[in-house]
Amino acid sequence: MRLDISGLSVRYGAVEALNDVSIAAREGCITAIIGANGAGKSTLLKAIAGLVDVSDGQISANGVALVDKPPEARHALGIALSPEGRRLFPELTVVENLMTGAIRRTDRDRVAADITAVYDLFPRLKERRASLGRNLSGGEQQMCAIGRALLSRPSLLLLDEPSLGLAPKVVGEMAHAIERVARSGVTIVLVEQNSRLALSISSDAFLLEAGRMIMSGPAKDMLADKRLQDVYLGT
Amino acid sequence: MLVQTLVIAATSSAYMMLLALGFTLIFGLMRIVNFAHGEFVMLGAYAVYVLTVPCGLNYFVAIPLAGLFAGLCGVVAERLIFRPFLGDELGAMITSLALAIILQGAVMIVFTVDQLSVPRPISGVLHFGSIYLPNDQIFVAGSSFLVVIAFHFLVHHTRLGLALRAVAQDTEIARAYGMAPSVILPLAFGIGCVLAGLAGALTVPLYAVNPFMGEAALLKAFIVVVLGGLGSLPGAMIAAVILGTTDAVISVWFSATMATLVSFVLVVIILIVKPSGLWGRA
Repeated sequence: MRLDISGLSVRYGAVEALNDVSIAAREGCITAIIGANGAGKSTLLKAIAGLVDVSDGQISANGVALVDKPPEARHALGIALSPEGRRLFPELTVVENLMTGAIRRTDRDRVAADITAVYDLFPRLKERRASLGRNLSGGEQQMCAIGRALLSRPSLLLLDEPSLGLAPKVVGEMAHAIERVARSGVTIVLVEQNSRLALSISSDAFLLEAGRMIMSGPAKDMLADKRLQDVYLGT
Repeated sequence: MLVQTLVIAATSSAYMMLLALGFTLIFGLMRIVNFAHGEFVMLGAYAVYVLTVPCGLNYFVAIPLAGLFAGLCGVVAERLIFRPFLGDELGAMITSLALAIILQGAVMIVFTVDQLSVPRPISGVLHFGSIYLPNDQIFVAGSSFLVVIAFHFLVHHTRLGLALRAVAQDTEIARAYGMAPSVILPLAFGIGCVLAGLAGALTVPLYAVNPFMGEAALLKAFIVVVLGGLGSLPGAMIAAVILGTTDAVISVWFSATMATLVSFVLVVIILIVKPSGLWGRA
Protein backbone atom coordinates (compact mmCIF):
# COMPACT_ATOMS: atom_id res chain seq x y z
CA MET A 1 0.00 0.00 0.00
CA ARG A 2 1.28 3.43 -0.92
CA LEU A 3 0.89 6.14 1.69
CA ASP A 4 0.91 9.87 0.88
CA ILE A 5 0.72 12.60 3.47
CA SER A 6 0.72 16.25 2.50
CA GLY A 7 0.64 19.38 4.61
CA LEU A 8 -0.46 17.50 7.72
CA SER A 9 -1.05 19.50 10.90
CA VAL A 10 -2.31 18.18 14.23
CA ARG A 11 -3.06 20.31 17.27
CA TYR A 12 -3.62 19.30 20.88
CA GLY A 13 -5.39 22.42 22.13
CA ALA A 14 -2.92 25.26 21.67
CA VAL A 15 0.02 22.92 21.14
CA GLU A 16 0.96 22.19 17.56
CA ALA A 17 2.12 18.56 17.54
CA LEU A 18 2.58 18.38 13.77
CA ASN A 19 3.02 21.32 11.45
CA ASP A 20 2.75 21.02 7.66
CA VAL A 21 4.32 17.58 7.43
CA SER A 22 4.54 15.84 4.05
CA ILE A 23 5.67 12.25 3.82
CA ALA A 24 5.37 9.39 1.37
CA ALA A 25 5.86 5.68 2.00
CA ARG A 26 6.47 3.38 -0.98
CA GLU A 27 4.71 0.08 -1.35
CA GLY A 28 6.54 -2.86 0.22
CA CYS A 29 9.29 -0.65 1.69
CA ILE A 30 10.24 0.32 5.21
CA THR A 31 10.02 4.05 5.83
CA ALA A 32 11.67 5.34 8.98
CA ILE A 33 10.43 8.34 10.94
CA ILE A 34 13.15 9.47 13.30
CA GLY A 35 13.51 12.35 15.68
CA ALA A 36 13.81 13.24 19.35
CA ASN A 37 11.24 12.65 22.05
CA GLY A 38 8.20 14.85 21.50
CA ALA A 39 9.02 15.56 17.86
CA GLY A 40 5.56 14.32 16.83
CA LYS A 41 6.46 10.83 15.59
CA SER A 42 3.76 8.97 17.54
CA THR A 43 1.20 11.63 16.69
CA LEU A 44 1.96 11.05 13.01
CA LEU A 45 1.19 7.33 13.32
CA LYS A 46 -1.98 8.05 15.30
CA ALA A 47 -3.10 10.49 12.61
CA ILE A 48 -2.62 7.79 9.95
CA ALA A 49 -4.60 5.25 12.01
CA GLY A 50 -7.32 7.81 12.76
CA LEU A 51 -6.80 8.10 16.52
CA VAL A 52 -6.24 11.87 16.52
CA ASP A 53 -8.08 14.61 14.70
CA VAL A 54 -6.25 16.29 11.88
CA SER A 55 -6.51 20.08 11.77
CA ASP A 56 -5.15 20.45 8.26
CA GLY A 57 -3.70 18.44 5.39
CA GLN A 58 -4.35 15.22 3.55
CA ILE A 59 -3.58 11.55 4.14
CA SER A 60 -4.21 9.01 1.43
CA ALA A 61 -3.64 5.29 1.10
CA ASN A 62 -3.44 3.98 -2.47
CA GLY A 63 -5.15 7.21 -3.46
CA VAL A 64 -8.07 6.84 -1.01
CA ALA A 65 -8.49 9.90 1.23
CA LEU A 66 -8.38 8.87 4.91
CA VAL A 67 -8.86 12.04 6.91
CA ASP A 68 -12.65 11.82 7.21
CA LYS A 69 -12.72 8.08 7.84
CA PRO A 70 -13.08 6.64 11.37
CA PRO A 71 -10.34 4.26 12.63
CA GLU A 72 -12.42 1.14 11.93
CA ALA A 73 -12.80 2.13 8.26
CA ARG A 74 -9.04 2.68 7.94
CA HIS A 75 -8.45 -0.74 9.47
CA ALA A 76 -10.79 -2.21 6.87
CA LEU A 77 -8.53 -0.72 4.16
CA GLY A 78 -5.60 -2.68 5.59
CA ILE A 79 -3.96 -0.31 8.07
CA ALA A 80 -2.75 -1.74 11.39
CA LEU A 81 -1.05 0.11 14.24
CA SER A 82 1.24 -1.23 16.93
CA PRO A 83 0.80 1.84 19.11
CA GLU A 84 2.91 3.85 21.51
CA GLY A 85 2.87 2.12 24.90
CA ARG A 86 1.78 -1.13 23.17
CA ARG A 87 -1.79 -0.78 24.46
CA LEU A 88 -2.50 -4.50 24.74
CA PHE A 89 -5.94 -5.35 26.08
CA PRO A 90 -4.83 -5.84 29.70
CA GLU A 91 -7.43 -8.44 30.72
CA LEU A 92 -7.12 -10.56 27.59
CA THR A 93 -4.60 -13.36 27.24
CA VAL A 94 -1.81 -13.29 24.67
CA VAL A 95 -3.81 -15.54 22.32
CA GLU A 96 -6.92 -13.40 22.74
CA ASN A 97 -4.93 -10.23 22.11
CA LEU A 98 -3.58 -11.77 18.93
CA MET A 99 -7.08 -12.81 17.92
CA THR A 100 -8.41 -9.26 18.29
CA GLY A 101 -6.10 -8.39 15.39
CA ALA A 102 -7.88 -10.98 13.25
CA ILE A 103 -11.38 -10.24 14.48
CA ARG A 104 -12.62 -8.77 11.20
CA ARG A 105 -10.99 -11.32 8.93
CA THR A 106 -13.23 -13.50 6.82
CA ASP A 107 -10.65 -16.24 6.14
CA ARG A 108 -11.07 -17.65 9.63
CA ASP A 109 -9.53 -21.02 8.84
CA ARG A 110 -6.18 -19.33 8.18
CA VAL A 111 -6.02 -17.41 11.45
CA ALA A 112 -4.67 -20.39 13.40
CA ALA A 113 -1.82 -20.77 10.91
CA ASP A 114 -1.03 -17.06 11.21
CA ILE A 115 -0.95 -17.31 15.01
CA THR A 116 1.57 -20.15 14.62
CA ALA A 117 3.58 -17.91 12.28
CA VAL A 118 3.65 -15.17 14.94
CA TYR A 119 4.85 -17.76 17.48
CA ASP A 120 7.62 -18.72 15.06
CA LEU A 121 8.58 -15.06 14.82
CA PHE A 122 8.45 -14.57 18.61
CA PRO A 123 8.80 -17.96 20.36
CA ARG A 124 8.53 -16.27 23.76
CA LEU A 125 4.87 -15.45 23.00
CA LYS A 126 4.04 -19.10 22.62
CA GLU A 127 5.29 -19.82 26.15
CA ARG A 128 3.26 -16.90 27.46
CA ARG A 129 0.13 -17.52 25.36
CA ALA A 130 -2.19 -18.03 28.35
CA SER A 131 -0.91 -15.00 30.31
CA LEU A 132 -2.91 -11.82 30.59
CA GLY A 133 -1.67 -8.78 28.69
CA ARG A 134 -1.05 -6.83 31.88
CA ASN A 135 1.22 -9.54 33.27
CA LEU A 136 3.68 -9.49 30.37
CA SER A 137 7.12 -7.85 30.50
CA GLY A 138 7.69 -4.79 28.32
CA GLY A 139 9.42 -6.81 25.63
CA GLU A 140 6.72 -9.48 25.60
CA GLN A 141 4.05 -6.79 25.31
CA GLN A 142 5.94 -5.34 22.37
CA MET A 143 6.01 -8.68 20.58
CA CYS A 144 2.34 -9.27 21.30
CA ALA A 145 1.36 -5.81 20.02
CA ILE A 146 3.28 -6.39 16.79
CA GLY A 147 1.79 -9.87 16.50
CA ARG A 148 -1.70 -8.44 16.95
CA ALA A 149 -1.03 -5.98 14.12
CA LEU A 150 0.35 -8.74 11.88
CA LEU A 151 -2.71 -10.91 12.49
CA SER A 152 -4.88 -8.35 10.75
CA ARG A 153 -2.84 -9.12 7.59
CA PRO A 154 -2.17 -5.44 7.00
CA SER A 155 -1.11 -3.79 3.77
CA LEU A 156 0.29 -0.89 5.80
CA LEU A 157 1.89 -1.62 9.17
CA LEU A 158 2.55 1.27 11.55
CA LEU A 159 5.14 0.41 14.20
CA ASP A 160 5.73 2.75 17.12
CA GLU A 161 9.07 2.15 18.85
CA PRO A 162 9.23 -1.62 18.32
CA SER A 163 12.68 -1.81 19.94
CA LEU A 164 11.54 -0.15 23.17
CA GLY A 165 11.82 -2.41 26.20
CA LEU A 166 13.61 -5.17 24.36
CA ALA A 167 16.86 -6.72 25.55
CA PRO A 168 19.75 -5.71 23.23
CA LYS A 169 20.03 -9.28 21.97
CA VAL A 170 16.36 -9.31 21.00
CA VAL A 171 16.51 -5.92 19.23
CA GLY A 172 18.42 -7.50 16.34
CA GLU A 173 15.88 -10.31 16.07
CA MET A 174 13.06 -7.78 16.03
CA ALA A 175 14.80 -5.86 13.21
CA HIS A 176 15.08 -9.07 11.18
CA ALA A 177 11.44 -9.85 11.84
CA ILE A 178 10.42 -6.41 10.56
CA GLU A 179 12.56 -6.83 7.43
CA ARG A 180 10.95 -10.20 6.79
CA VAL A 181 7.44 -8.71 7.07
CA ALA A 182 8.39 -5.95 4.61
CA ARG A 183 9.77 -8.53 2.14
CA SER A 184 6.37 -10.22 2.15
CA GLY A 185 4.99 -7.05 0.52
CA VAL A 186 3.75 -5.09 3.55
CA THR A 187 4.45 -1.36 3.60
CA ILE A 188 5.93 -0.40 6.95
CA VAL A 189 6.18 2.98 8.62
CA LEU A 190 8.65 2.65 11.45
CA VAL A 191 8.92 5.20 14.24
CA GLU A 192 12.07 4.81 16.29
CA GLN A 193 14.16 6.57 18.88
CA ASN A 194 16.92 4.13 17.97
CA SER A 195 17.70 6.02 14.76
CA ARG A 196 20.68 3.95 13.75
CA LEU A 197 18.65 0.75 13.90
CA ALA A 198 15.72 2.30 12.02
CA LEU A 199 17.90 3.74 9.25
CA SER A 200 19.84 0.52 8.81
CA ILE A 201 16.73 -1.47 7.85
CA SER A 202 14.76 1.27 6.03
CA SER A 203 14.68 2.42 2.41
CA ASP A 204 13.55 5.98 3.03
CA ALA A 205 13.67 8.17 6.10
CA PHE A 206 12.16 11.38 7.40
CA LEU A 207 13.48 13.42 10.30
CA LEU A 208 11.00 15.27 12.49
CA GLU A 209 11.91 18.07 14.85
CA ALA A 210 9.36 19.90 16.99
CA GLY A 211 6.50 18.83 14.76
CA ARG A 212 8.15 19.76 11.45
CA MET A 213 9.76 17.56 8.86
CA ILE A 214 13.27 18.97 8.52
CA MET A 215 15.06 16.35 6.46
CA SER A 216 14.23 13.45 4.19
CA GLY A 217 15.93 11.11 1.78
CA PRO A 218 17.19 7.60 1.23
CA ALA A 219 17.93 5.97 4.60
CA LYS A 220 21.51 5.10 3.67
CA ASP A 221 22.30 8.74 2.81
CA MET A 222 20.90 9.89 6.12
CA LEU A 223 22.89 7.24 7.95
CA ALA A 224 26.02 8.75 6.37
CA ASP A 225 25.02 12.37 6.98
CA LYS A 226 27.52 14.21 9.16
CA ARG A 227 25.07 16.60 10.88
CA LEU A 228 22.66 13.79 11.60
CA GLN A 229 25.42 11.66 13.04
CA ASP A 230 26.37 14.38 15.49
CA VAL A 231 22.85 15.04 16.77
CA TYR A 232 20.82 11.86 16.35
CA LEU A 233 23.13 8.96 15.80
CA GLY A 234 25.41 9.67 18.71
CA THR A 235 28.75 8.95 17.10
CA MET B 1 -34.05 -27.57 55.94
CA LEU B 2 -30.44 -27.25 54.77
CA VAL B 3 -31.15 -28.50 51.25
CA GLN B 4 -34.19 -26.26 51.02
CA THR B 5 -32.12 -23.27 52.10
CA LEU B 6 -29.53 -24.19 49.48
CA VAL B 7 -32.15 -24.28 46.75
CA ILE B 8 -33.47 -20.89 47.81
CA ALA B 9 -29.89 -19.59 47.90
CA ALA B 10 -29.25 -20.95 44.41
CA THR B 11 -32.45 -19.40 43.06
CA SER B 12 -31.66 -16.08 44.65
CA SER B 13 -28.01 -16.13 43.45
CA ALA B 14 -28.95 -17.05 39.89
CA TYR B 15 -31.60 -14.32 39.74
CA MET B 16 -29.12 -11.75 41.06
CA MET B 17 -26.55 -12.87 38.49
CA LEU B 18 -29.01 -12.30 35.67
CA LEU B 19 -29.81 -8.84 36.98
CA ALA B 20 -26.22 -7.86 37.69
CA LEU B 21 -24.43 -9.25 34.62
CA GLY B 22 -26.44 -7.09 32.24
CA PHE B 23 -26.05 -4.02 34.44
CA THR B 24 -22.28 -4.44 34.78
CA LEU B 25 -21.81 -5.28 31.08
CA ILE B 26 -23.45 -2.01 30.10
CA PHE B 27 -21.38 -0.08 32.62
CA GLY B 28 -18.17 -1.83 31.57
CA LEU B 29 -18.55 -0.88 27.92
CA MET B 30 -20.32 2.44 28.04
CA ARG B 31 -19.72 3.81 31.55
CA ILE B 32 -23.50 4.17 31.83
CA VAL B 33 -24.93 3.56 35.30
CA ASN B 34 -28.25 2.44 33.87
CA PHE B 35 -30.93 3.38 36.38
CA ALA B 36 -33.51 2.07 33.91
CA HIS B 37 -32.13 -1.48 34.17
CA GLY B 38 -34.97 -2.52 36.48
CA GLU B 39 -37.49 -1.23 33.94
CA PHE B 40 -36.14 -3.70 31.38
CA VAL B 41 -36.84 -6.44 33.96
CA MET B 42 -40.36 -5.04 34.19
CA LEU B 43 -40.70 -4.98 30.38
CA GLY B 44 -39.76 -8.67 30.31
CA ALA B 45 -42.38 -9.44 32.95
CA TYR B 46 -45.13 -7.46 31.17
CA ALA B 47 -44.19 -9.09 27.87
CA VAL B 48 -44.78 -12.49 29.45
CA TYR B 49 -48.11 -11.29 30.86
CA VAL B 50 -49.29 -9.98 27.47
CA LEU B 51 -48.11 -13.05 25.59
CA THR B 52 -49.61 -15.59 27.98
CA VAL B 53 -52.78 -14.03 29.38
CA PRO B 54 -54.44 -12.02 26.58
CA CYS B 55 -52.66 -13.84 23.73
CA GLY B 56 -52.84 -17.26 25.32
CA LEU B 57 -49.30 -18.30 24.37
CA ASN B 58 -47.49 -21.03 26.27
CA TYR B 59 -45.40 -19.63 29.16
CA PHE B 60 -42.23 -21.45 28.10
CA VAL B 61 -42.47 -20.01 24.58
CA ALA B 62 -43.14 -16.56 26.03
CA ILE B 63 -39.90 -16.51 28.10
CA PRO B 64 -37.39 -16.21 25.20
CA LEU B 65 -39.74 -13.84 23.34
CA ALA B 66 -39.91 -11.60 26.39
CA GLY B 67 -36.10 -11.59 26.66
CA LEU B 68 -35.84 -10.69 22.99
CA PHE B 69 -38.41 -7.93 23.37
CA ALA B 70 -36.52 -6.35 26.27
CA GLY B 71 -33.31 -6.66 24.24
CA LEU B 72 -34.82 -4.90 21.22
CA CYS B 73 -36.09 -2.13 23.47
CA GLY B 74 -32.51 -1.88 24.79
CA VAL B 75 -31.02 -1.55 21.30
CA VAL B 76 -33.53 1.17 20.42
CA ALA B 77 -32.89 3.00 23.71
CA GLU B 78 -29.12 2.90 23.12
CA ARG B 79 -29.38 4.27 19.59
CA LEU B 80 -32.03 6.91 20.27
CA ILE B 81 -31.38 8.02 23.82
CA PHE B 82 -27.94 7.08 25.13
CA ARG B 83 -25.84 7.56 22.00
CA PRO B 84 -25.47 11.35 22.35
CA PHE B 85 -24.21 10.87 25.92
CA LEU B 86 -21.32 8.55 25.08
CA GLY B 87 -18.42 9.59 27.30
CA ASP B 88 -20.66 11.78 29.45
CA GLU B 89 -21.23 9.62 32.55
CA LEU B 90 -23.36 12.12 34.43
CA GLY B 91 -25.53 12.95 31.41
CA ALA B 92 -26.08 9.26 30.67
CA MET B 93 -26.98 8.54 34.29
CA ILE B 94 -29.59 11.31 34.39
CA THR B 95 -30.91 10.16 31.02
CA SER B 96 -31.28 6.62 32.37
CA LEU B 97 -33.27 7.97 35.34
CA ALA B 98 -35.55 9.80 32.92
CA LEU B 99 -35.95 6.65 30.83
CA ALA B 100 -36.91 4.69 33.97
CA ILE B 101 -39.62 7.22 34.83
CA ILE B 102 -40.88 7.31 31.22
CA LEU B 103 -41.11 3.51 31.00
CA GLN B 104 -42.92 3.30 34.35
CA GLY B 105 -45.34 5.98 33.22
CA ALA B 106 -45.97 4.36 29.86
CA VAL B 107 -46.71 1.01 31.50
CA MET B 108 -49.05 2.70 34.02
CA ILE B 109 -51.01 4.33 31.19
CA VAL B 110 -51.42 1.05 29.32
CA PHE B 111 -51.86 -1.41 32.19
CA THR B 112 -52.86 0.84 35.17
CA VAL B 113 -51.10 0.40 38.50
CA ASP B 114 -52.96 -2.80 39.37
CA GLN B 115 -51.04 -5.94 40.20
CA LEU B 116 -51.28 -8.45 37.40
CA SER B 117 -50.48 -12.10 37.72
CA VAL B 118 -49.66 -14.93 35.40
CA PRO B 119 -51.01 -18.40 36.20
CA ARG B 120 -48.33 -20.64 37.65
CA PRO B 121 -47.04 -22.81 34.80
CA ILE B 122 -45.32 -25.20 37.15
CA SER B 123 -46.76 -26.58 40.33
CA GLY B 124 -46.06 -29.32 42.79
CA VAL B 125 -43.04 -30.17 44.86
CA LEU B 126 -40.27 -32.66 44.66
CA HIS B 127 -39.77 -34.50 47.89
CA PHE B 128 -37.02 -36.76 49.00
CA GLY B 129 -37.75 -38.06 52.49
CA SER B 130 -38.25 -35.01 54.64
CA ILE B 131 -36.98 -32.55 51.98
CA TYR B 132 -39.54 -30.58 49.98
CA LEU B 133 -38.43 -28.56 46.96
CA PRO B 134 -40.96 -26.45 45.03
CA ASN B 135 -40.71 -27.24 41.31
CA ASP B 136 -41.17 -23.65 40.19
CA GLN B 137 -38.16 -22.50 42.21
CA ILE B 138 -36.04 -25.29 40.80
CA PHE B 139 -37.13 -24.18 37.33
CA VAL B 140 -36.16 -20.54 37.97
CA ALA B 141 -32.79 -21.49 39.46
CA GLY B 142 -32.04 -23.99 36.69
CA SER B 143 -33.02 -21.76 33.77
CA SER B 144 -31.24 -18.75 35.24
CA PHE B 145 -28.03 -20.75 35.55
CA LEU B 146 -28.44 -21.96 31.97
CA VAL B 147 -28.77 -18.35 30.78
CA VAL B 148 -25.71 -17.35 32.81
CA ILE B 149 -23.72 -20.24 31.28
CA ALA B 150 -24.87 -19.25 27.79
CA PHE B 151 -23.83 -15.66 28.48
CA HIS B 152 -20.45 -16.82 29.78
CA PHE B 153 -19.97 -18.86 26.61
CA LEU B 154 -20.89 -15.84 24.47
CA VAL B 155 -18.40 -13.60 26.28
CA HIS B 156 -15.49 -16.05 26.38
CA HIS B 157 -15.83 -18.23 23.31
CA THR B 158 -17.23 -16.12 20.48
CA ARG B 159 -15.90 -13.30 18.34
CA LEU B 160 -18.62 -10.99 19.57
CA GLY B 161 -17.60 -11.74 23.16
CA LEU B 162 -13.96 -11.00 22.35
CA ALA B 163 -15.02 -7.70 20.79
CA LEU B 164 -17.16 -6.85 23.85
CA ARG B 165 -14.22 -7.41 26.18
CA ALA B 166 -11.77 -5.57 23.92
CA VAL B 167 -14.02 -2.52 23.61
CA ALA B 168 -14.55 -2.49 27.38
CA GLN B 169 -10.78 -2.51 27.98
CA ASP B 170 -9.58 -0.03 25.35
CA THR B 171 -12.21 1.45 23.03
CA GLU B 172 -9.71 3.41 20.97
CA ILE B 173 -7.46 0.49 20.11
CA ALA B 174 -10.49 -1.75 19.57
CA ARG B 175 -11.64 0.75 16.94
CA ALA B 176 -8.22 0.71 15.31
CA TYR B 177 -8.71 -3.04 14.91
CA GLY B 178 -12.09 -2.69 13.26
CA MET B 179 -14.48 -3.05 16.19
CA ALA B 180 -16.94 -0.25 15.48
CA PRO B 181 -18.66 1.22 18.56
CA SER B 182 -21.76 1.89 16.45
CA VAL B 183 -22.20 -1.90 16.15
CA ILE B 184 -20.76 -3.19 19.42
CA LEU B 185 -22.37 -0.73 21.84
CA PRO B 186 -26.04 -1.24 20.86
CA LEU B 187 -25.43 -4.99 20.81
CA ALA B 188 -23.93 -4.87 24.30
CA PHE B 189 -26.77 -2.75 25.59
CA GLY B 190 -29.26 -5.12 23.96
CA ILE B 191 -27.61 -8.20 25.47
CA GLY B 192 -27.67 -6.59 28.91
CA CYS B 193 -31.37 -5.89 28.47
CA VAL B 194 -32.05 -9.44 27.24
CA LEU B 195 -30.61 -10.68 30.54
CA ALA B 196 -32.79 -8.22 32.47
CA GLY B 197 -35.88 -9.17 30.45
CA LEU B 198 -35.24 -12.87 31.07
CA ALA B 199 -34.88 -12.20 34.80
CA GLY B 200 -38.30 -10.56 34.72
CA ALA B 201 -39.84 -13.27 32.55
CA LEU B 202 -38.53 -16.16 34.64
CA THR B 203 -39.75 -14.76 37.94
CA VAL B 204 -43.18 -13.59 36.75
CA PRO B 205 -45.00 -16.63 38.16
CA LEU B 206 -43.31 -16.16 41.56
CA TYR B 207 -43.95 -12.46 41.99
CA ALA B 208 -46.82 -10.28 40.81
CA VAL B 209 -46.32 -7.83 37.94
CA ASN B 210 -46.64 -4.09 38.55
CA PRO B 211 -45.14 -0.91 37.07
CA PHE B 212 -42.82 -0.40 40.06
CA MET B 213 -41.30 -3.87 40.22
CA GLY B 214 -38.16 -2.56 38.49
CA GLU B 215 -37.08 -0.59 41.54
CA ALA B 216 -36.40 -3.64 43.70
CA ALA B 217 -34.66 -5.33 40.77
CA LEU B 218 -32.43 -2.31 40.18
CA LEU B 219 -31.50 -2.18 43.85
CA LYS B 220 -30.48 -5.85 43.76
CA ALA B 221 -28.45 -5.38 40.57
CA PHE B 222 -26.87 -2.28 42.04
CA ILE B 223 -25.61 -3.75 45.31
CA VAL B 224 -24.32 -6.87 43.56
CA VAL B 225 -22.39 -4.81 41.03
CA VAL B 226 -21.05 -2.36 43.60
CA LEU B 227 -19.88 -5.26 45.74
CA GLY B 228 -18.31 -7.09 42.80
CA GLY B 229 -16.69 -4.03 41.30
CA LEU B 230 -18.43 -1.85 38.69
CA GLY B 231 -17.92 -3.20 35.21
CA SER B 232 -16.50 -6.58 36.28
CA LEU B 233 -18.28 -9.72 35.03
CA PRO B 234 -16.53 -12.24 37.34
CA GLY B 235 -17.02 -9.79 40.22
CA ALA B 236 -20.77 -9.67 39.52
CA MET B 237 -21.02 -13.46 39.52
CA ILE B 238 -19.15 -13.90 42.80
CA ALA B 239 -20.99 -11.05 44.49
CA ALA B 240 -24.33 -12.51 43.33
CA VAL B 241 -23.48 -15.81 45.02
CA ILE B 242 -22.37 -14.07 48.23
CA LEU B 243 -25.45 -11.83 48.43
CA GLY B 244 -27.88 -14.47 47.16
CA THR B 245 -26.71 -16.95 49.77
CA THR B 246 -26.66 -14.41 52.60
CA ASP B 247 -30.13 -13.26 51.63
CA ALA B 248 -31.53 -16.80 51.44
CA VAL B 249 -29.98 -18.08 54.65
CA ILE B 250 -31.07 -15.11 56.74
CA SER B 251 -34.55 -15.01 55.14
CA VAL B 252 -35.09 -18.67 56.00
CA TRP B 253 -33.68 -18.61 59.50
CA PHE B 254 -34.69 -15.11 60.57
CA SER B 255 -36.68 -12.78 58.32
CA ALA B 256 -36.58 -11.10 54.93
CA THR B 257 -36.19 -7.67 56.52
CA MET B 258 -33.21 -8.89 58.51
CA ALA B 259 -31.76 -10.38 55.30
CA THR B 260 -31.92 -7.05 53.44
CA LEU B 261 -30.38 -5.28 56.41
CA VAL B 262 -27.50 -7.74 56.70
CA SER B 263 -26.87 -7.67 52.92
CA PHE B 264 -26.43 -3.92 52.93
CA VAL B 265 -24.29 -3.93 56.08
CA LEU B 266 -22.11 -6.57 54.41
CA VAL B 267 -21.72 -4.40 51.30
CA VAL B 268 -20.84 -1.34 53.38
CA ILE B 269 -18.21 -3.28 55.34
CA ILE B 270 -16.60 -4.72 52.19
CA LEU B 271 -16.57 -1.31 50.53
CA ILE B 272 -14.86 0.24 53.56
CA VAL B 273 -12.14 -2.40 53.29
CA LYS B 274 -11.97 -2.40 49.48
CA PRO B 275 -13.65 0.66 47.96
CA SER B 276 -13.39 -0.53 44.35
CA GLY B 277 -15.38 -3.69 45.13
CA LEU B 278 -14.18 -7.29 45.32
CA TRP B 279 -13.05 -7.54 41.71
CA GLY B 280 -12.71 -3.89 40.78
CA ARG B 281 -9.54 -2.04 39.94
CA ALA B 282 -9.23 1.32 41.59
